[in-house]
Amino acid sequence: MKLELMPMFWLAFTLLAYVFSRWIYRRTGRYLLSPLILVPALLLALAVPLHTAYAEYSSDTHWLMWILGPVTVAFAVPIWQQRQMLMRYWSALLLGMLAGSAASIGTSFGLAKALALDSSVTLSLVPRSITTPFAMPLAHELGGVPELTAVFVMFTGVFGAMLGSILLKWLPLRSALARGALFGVGAHGAGVSRAHEVGGEEGSVAGLVMVLTGLLNLFCAPLLAAVL
Amino acid sequence: MHASTLKKLARLVIELAVLLGIYLLGCAIATWFAWPIPGGVIGMALLLLAFAVGWVKPATLQTGAGLLMAEMLLFFIPALMSLLDYGGLMRDDGWRILLVIGMSTLMVMLVTAFTVEAVVRLRRPHEA
Repeated sequence: MKLELMPMFWLAFTLLAYVFSRWIYRRTGRYLLSPLILVPALLLALAVPLHTAYAEYSSDTHWLMWILGPVTVAFAVPIWQQRQMLMRYWSALLLGMLAGSAASIGTSFGLAKALALDSSVTLSLVPRSITTPFAMPLAHELGGVPELTAVFVMFTGVFGAMLGSILLKWLPLRSALARGALFGVGAHGAGVSRAHEVGGEEGSVAGLVMVLTGLLNLFCAPLLAAVL
Repeated sequence: MHASTLKKLARLVIELAVLLGIYLLGCAIATWFAWPIPGGVIGMALLLLAFAVGWVKPATLQTGAGLLMAEMLLFFIPALMSLLDYGGLMRDDGWRILLVIGMSTLMVMLVTAFTVEAVVRLRRPHEA
């Protein structure tokens, strides 16, 4: 009867939930049913009543996270394909990424301190604005909890994609570069898909900026570790 | 049609294997030189170098790389399930955490967008 004792049960259920969520999202297009929200919701809906511990869940599935390594390698393709845009607008993009990252790290850290959050939670919040393959190693470097950072990165993506669309209606942004960077720095992967819906140029900028911001933050890790 | 599907699949598997190989090479280099840089980042640098030198064309790896990036969510779902161990944290501090994420995300978006917009307008006021 104990279904969850079956070997690879959680792996099978995770894959099933993922495929199902993608199918549902393609059919309905409803944001609340997007895989980023629906997959964790489905998994938690089963795991919480079964009193499954994270260790138990991850014993089947942790190797999936290892694939984030090859994903990082794959990021070389969009960087290379957008190199002309990068060379043309490097100053605007670099300044945007630096200012945005400083805002992200400063406000995450400052607000978490002001609200008296635990120090491991605070440090896990610091990398929350960058894409997961970079955010998890950065959290590790800073002394945060990489898994907790992945959760905060997800919240950021879910909220940021919605907020970004609202902001675009209100802000007087004339350049596609600024619209794309807003999504790429502010809402990583979820923002990049939203930026593609706004326009092709916005999408490319967001994708490029997402990867470069991740790199930039990761390379600042020793500096951040010393300051925070 | 069947043969062409099989051929496409084989091609995809090879592309994924190449990306995996570059990743493992990156990890080996990181371990060898005891660099604190993740193997994936070194692998990315190697691949960029290969593009720049002309050893590999980006189009050669586009399908595999595209698949990995498009399905990225699947690969970090296991980390999200750490929520199973943080039920207490979320009940006690959840609203404060969400407040930090919400406020901070708003700030990041405003600062980034206005910085980029300002630089673009300064550089080419007629075009922006």
